[in-house]
Amino acid sequence: MPTALTNQDAQYLTNNAIRRKRMSRWFYGLCVAIAFVSVLILVVLLAAIWTQGQSRLTTDLLTRAHSELEIERSGMWPSIIGSLIVCFVCALAALPLGIATAVFLEEFKPTSKPLRFVHGFIQLNIANLAGVPSIVYGLLGLTVFVYMFNIFGQIKVNESPGWEIMGAEHYYQVMTLQPGHVVFVPQEDSSVPEIEITEPTIGVDNEGKQLELAVWEPGTPRPKDEATKRRTIEKGAIGGTITRRSWYYFRLPLDKSFLSGGLTLALVILPIIIIASQEALRAVSPSLREASMGIGATTWQTVRHVCLPAAVPGIMTGAILAMGRAIGEAAPILVVLGANVMKSGAPEHLMDNAVTMPVLIFNWAGRQQIEFQELAAAAIIVLLVVLLILNSTAIIIRQKVQKAHT
Amino acid sequence: MATHLKNMQLMKLTLPVAIAVLCAVGCGKSSTPSDDDATPTSDETVAVSNMAGSIKINGSSTVLPISNAVAEQFSKQYPEVSVSVDGAGTGNGFNDFEVKKTDISDASRPIKPGEKEKCEANGVEFVEVPVAYDGLTIVINPQNDWVDTLTVEQLQKIFVGEDAAKTWKDVDPSWPDENIDIYAPGTGSGTYDYFHEVVVGKSDAELRKDMSLNEDDNILVKGVADNKNAIGFFGVAYYEESKDRLKAAKIVNPKDGEAYLPTGENIASGKYAPFSRPLFIYVSTASLKRAEVQTFVDYYLSNVSELCERVGYVRLPDSIVEKGKSNVENRVAGTHYISPEGETRSGALEDIFVESNLVK
Repeated sequence: MPTALTNQDAQYLTNNAIRRKRMSRWFYGLCVAIAFVSVLILVVLLAAIWTQGQSRLTTDLLTRAHSELEIERSGMWPSIIGSLIVCFVCALAALPLGIATAVFLEEFKPTSKPLRFVHGFIQLNIANLAGVPSIVYGLLGLTVFVYMFNIFGQIKVNESPGWEIMGAEHYYQVMTLQPGHVVFVPQEDSSVPEIEITEPTIGVDNEGKQLELAVWEPGTPRPKDEATKRRTIEKGAIGGTITRRSWYYFRLPLDKSFLSGGLTLALVILPIIIIASQEALRAVSPSLREASMGIGATTWQTVRHVCLPAAVPGIMTGAILAMGRAIGEAAPILVVLGANVMKSGAPEHLMDNAVTMPVLIFNWAGRQQIEFQELAAAAIIVLLVVLLILNSTAIIIRQKVQKAHT
Repeated sequence: MATHLKNMQLMKLTLPVAIAVLCAVGCGKSSTPSDDDATPTSDETVAVSNMAGSIKINGSSTVLPISNAVAEQFSKQYPEVSVSVDGAGTGNGFNDFEVKKTDISDASRPIKPGEKEKCEANGVEFVEVPVAYDGLTIVINPQNDWVDTLTVEQLQKIFVGEDAAKTWKDVDPSWPDENIDIYAPGTGSGTYDYFHEVVVGKSDAELRKDMSLNEDDNILVKGVADNKNAIGFFGVAYYEESKDRLKAAKIVNPKDGEAYLPTGENIASGKYAPFSRPLFIYVSTASLKRAEVQTFVDYYLSNVSELCERVGYVRLPDSIVEKGKSNVENRVAGTHYISPEGETRSGALEDIFVESNLVK
């Protein structure tokens, strides 16, 4: 053995120790600094948005709709409710699918060779899907949900409404002699898009009350009083089809409805939920599983009573992150629902369009008026607050579940 | 096992609770906007109509603010008619219009021969209605003291071809020897197309490639406002918003040789040529049979002149609006911008929007 090793220099040893400790301290400092960079970015971002948008944080912003003519009184109420509903649909579709896939991949590992291949293939593709940009999912959603490959026909104005499954009543809308007032004639044959009124018939008003409609022939004296005018139609007047839709109105294809938007977002977040749920299930101690199997439980019973309850906190963390992403996505929603921001309220039926917060912010931020720029900043604050509320609710629920389990 | 049971109960409880909370939030708040509407904020006291139905509009993002404004006013008087206005671009709007997905197509340029053929093939007939003017403004930095007026020839020198002027001196020897920095809208915008059409004309030349292109007009405004040697162009609405930071160049009208600023008057009278363009809506005649579409288009034409000014555009002469109205009333289908031989017509709106040019 060389003497240098057996007989070490004391001075060298001390220096080396000091050097190594200094290095370690520096590295610690560097780590803290790097960690603070992300905090700093967030603080700068929030401060910038706050200074720009705080003057617009009014009740108008929360209760009113977008307005082109009264910019100062524009609001984002329809977009808040729209975002919540789209995210609700998204969660309803993505959570069961995602968790079930994760259970299959983690708990029901097949033994036969071809099935093992399928298993591996799915696993690989989920990892791939997680890296696909969301705009691509938007285009996928457009073909799959909005048009449904045109299997159910195309939705055209003045023509077929697609396959209406429930909740639709068709009427012919006919103008009366009173300007701006219309009456409705129930439609019997939906293949006839319009009728011509030539003789007195039975119609209904907006509440569905029956009315006897009179016909006025041009050239004869015109009725004078308003009540008569309201139920008199000029001879030869044309009635076009309108549809009264109940809240459960359902039709295929889904067209530009909030259901399409929610389902498309579900595609975006599905890989995230699957991967997070898989991690959570993998973290369940094998001894728990083995104990359950040991007392004779089937795989299903083990999953149902042991693995899933133990994995719920982890799964929920994944779900929270995924929903945070879903509520902030603008690109796929723009592709699927379009850039319509004029909607003045919540969706009225299942096939109704919706405005979401990111799309509204995108629209406002692109306007040249300074008021819209400020409104965009204020809307971002509202979006962050809504997200925080959703997340903290989920975290509280998770905490409760965790406490109950331990 | 007892803990599991408890666990399951909790899980069974939480989901319905979460749904209930969501619904409660939804229902509780949804009454507020209607309360707000019930107390009239505006001075209008027009009787609310019971008309129902839905109208679908898609097309130019330039026309979108006008259509949005009209739809907004309209919905106060006809609350049960739902009007959905999308702004996917003129070309995309026509794509939808051709296959009967929309009732009305917004357009910042006249229909093209190819689009018209597709409409014919699908049996879509339409009425062409000009609704407002948009003036394209050529802007320079306020510190730029050498440019006051520009001719189309000078703009060709600045904007066209790879050998375009590099310095201001190349355009006019009396101007300083400074680089020209150009800010222009993206190649996908109707504004770019329109500028290209006016400046390049019918030749195959392209606009120069070394411009700063951006779809966001705010960035163009900022670019020109911060750079003494810059020049740019965009819609007059954007210039009006940033008048204090920009200077508009006077454009020499090729017909009378006089230079005009892009003021509302000059655009409306046609003096600000060739950089003012008409905006259109194309209405399907099949949809016009429906009471709600008919009423909406009537309302559109009666109010567009006032409303377009409120969102930054220039009103059309009354005679043209009236002509559009009568075309809608008489269902005069077809376009004025394509000759029977399938050639595109170009020129001032007054000259083209006449009966003799109508081609079905």
